[in-house]
Amino acid sequence: MISRRTFAALVGSVALLPGLGLAQTAPAPLDNPGQVDIALVRYLSTGDFFQAYLSGVEKQAAALGVNLQVFDSRQDAALQADMVDQAIALGVDGIIIQHGLTESMKEAAQRAVDAGIKVVAFDVNVENPAIPQVEQSDRDLARLALEAAVADNGTEWVAGYVYVPGIAPLDRRDETWKAVKAANPGIQEVAMFGTLDNPIANSVANQARSVLSANPNIQVMFAPYDEFAKGVKIAVDEAGMSGQVSIYSADVSTADIQLMREPGSAWKATAATNPAVVGEVSVRTLALLLAGEDPGAQVIVPPTLITQAMLNELDINNMEELGAKLPAFAHADVAMAPWMTLPPR
Amino acid sequence: MKTLSLTDLAIRYGFLLLMAGLIVIFSIAKPAFLSPQSAVFILQSVAITGILALGVTATLVVDGFDLSIGAVATSAMMLSAYVMVIWDMGAVAAVVMCLGMGALVGLVNGLLIVKMRVPDLLATLGMMFLLVGLQRIPTQGNSISTGMVLADGSAATGSFAPSFLMLGRHRIDFILPDLVPLSVVFLIVIAVLVWAFLELTRHGRVMYAIGSNAQAAALAGINVAGYRVLAYVISGVMASIGGILLAARLGRGDVASGNNLLLDSVAAALIGFAVLGAAKPNAFGTAIGALFVGILLQGLTMLNAPYYTQDFIKGAVLVVALVFTFALSGRVGRGRG
Repeated sequence: MISRRTFAALVGSVALLPGLGLAQTAPAPLDNPGQVDIALVRYLSTGDFFQAYLSGVEKQAAALGVNLQVFDSRQDAALQADMVDQAIALGVDGIIIQHGLTESMKEAAQRAVDAGIKVVAFDVNVENPAIPQVEQSDRDLARLALEAAVADNGTEWVAGYVYVPGIAPLDRRDETWKAVKAANPGIQEVAMFGTLDNPIANSVANQARSVLSANPNIQVMFAPYDEFAKGVKIAVDEAGMSGQVSIYSADVSTADIQLMREPGSAWKATAATNPAVVGEVSVRTLALLLAGEDPGAQVIVPPTLITQAMLNELDINNMEELGAKLPAFAHADVAMAPWMTLPPR
Repeated sequence: MKTLSLTDLAIRYGFLLLMAGLIVIFSIAKPAFLSPQSAVFILQSVAITGILALGVTATLVVDGFDLSIGAVATSAMMLSAYVMVIWDMGAVAAVVMCLGMGALVGLVNGLLIVKMRVPDLLATLGMMFLLVGLQRIPTQGNSISTGMVLADGSAATGSFAPSFLMLGRHRIDFILPDLVPLSVVFLIVIAVLVWAFLELTRHGRVMYAIGSNAQAAALAGINVAGYRVLAYVISGVMASIGGILLAARLGRGDVASGNNLLLDSVAAALIGFAVLGAAKPNAFGTAIGALFVGILLQGLTMLNAPYYTQDFIKGAVLVVALVFTFALSGRVGRGRG
């Protein structure tokens, strides 16, 4: 698939060859981006991840010079489908569908495609071959975090696991956890817990306290969502067990960085894709489609492993410094074309 | 004194017996359940909802209802984080401003209900939405944490004051060193204060009188409007204390609606109706109700029960408690005693 994308990029550049001197000129319709309207139709919007995703979308749209309109359905699946119709009625050129339910979005997405609109989906499968899927690879996220756990602790440890079934990214991370457990019989899972009651960190902290006192021999906590990890860290600190328990997680935020860097912190590593980069990639994928190029059926944004040692060595204090000092985190080299203008760094 | 019939006994002590039974079952299944540490963290896990529930109790006593407490708590959490991280002020300023905010919201709620004659559920529902939105405006929907990047591109210089974090994290030596967190002390002190206020003072009795028959209370020369406003102010202040403790425990201002806090604390207050067969809102019952939910949830977590069974059991307990209150005791209507 990567080769397909490279191929597409190659074709794109070959097509541009005659005007080599003007390599930066975007193909139509993006050569006149002021006339291009795109819409972002969101299902989820509350929280740091979605906020950062939006900022990435806004920055990349601004860099390309296209007009962006944001529709926010606030977790109302029916409203989200209506908003796609609204965008169609407004005559936008492209739509990014951000999260949502397959059942409610499938037909709305098809209507948009039928109306000649280019559509990209992020983290929702709308079962449509004309619509590329942008994904952060949850399996890779979990794999990186667990590889770090194995590198730090060997292959024999007692584990606690935080999981809430039925949430697509968590389910995908769970597949990796099951595979790693199967491959390493020395890993013994003694407790599985989790809740999405908000504030999530507080509710998970309460649960983790019980789990730790029922299973004082736990060495590794796998909490593949940063709100879970925050809760577990509170519990580990309160139980005075930070010397004994190591926490591995997924996702990252400024607050997470601070917690990981606390002296003696049990939070050893997290694997993350930069949500802002995912937002940028979503817009670039849409731009490729608008320009008539093929971004591939799946556009995967690769994750980065961030360890406590890394943060301390490079003295990273917030997300901006993380992007500046870990270049792999600030930019993903996917859905690129020579004419693509990137946001300023 | 006449001897109590079996039904009377069941009404009076059934709930406490049920709780004792649960403790025995959990201790047999997981011996770690019966340690002092375990007892303390059960208290800690219910400290915040317990304090909120005591606020709900105050409004239930005057036959009112406050749907905004969860939102007040999360707003206080955001406000305290904002004061310390972005304005770079100290713990005292943060606490005072949060309490002031809670009192102000309570006052507005009370005035909406008493002066504008908006029904209590609707007024506080409106306030809930207002606060959920308001708390996100200053940070454009972002959570607040130390070192966060502000809208102008600079990093926030302030941080959570250590004395503020102590409120949620410090532990006092009691039997064992570093055992009891301050939040548990707050819960116990506030529970005793609210209990004493409602049961022992004239003001408390007046509030119960208003709850049972506001018109009769007014004819008896009681300032009904004033006491109802007071109940909402108490509720707002309690909710802001809960929010302060939440911020101190999490160490950041978390964007959250607080709906779970609202539901859990209302459940605790309603379960409280059944304790000792009171069949009315009461501080002791509310504290026991919160504790009951805490024991259940922590025990089930120790036994690796998944979260949806916990919601189910929370609901079942509430239904049973309401049956205790309304069917077995044969009394109807809130605030009758």
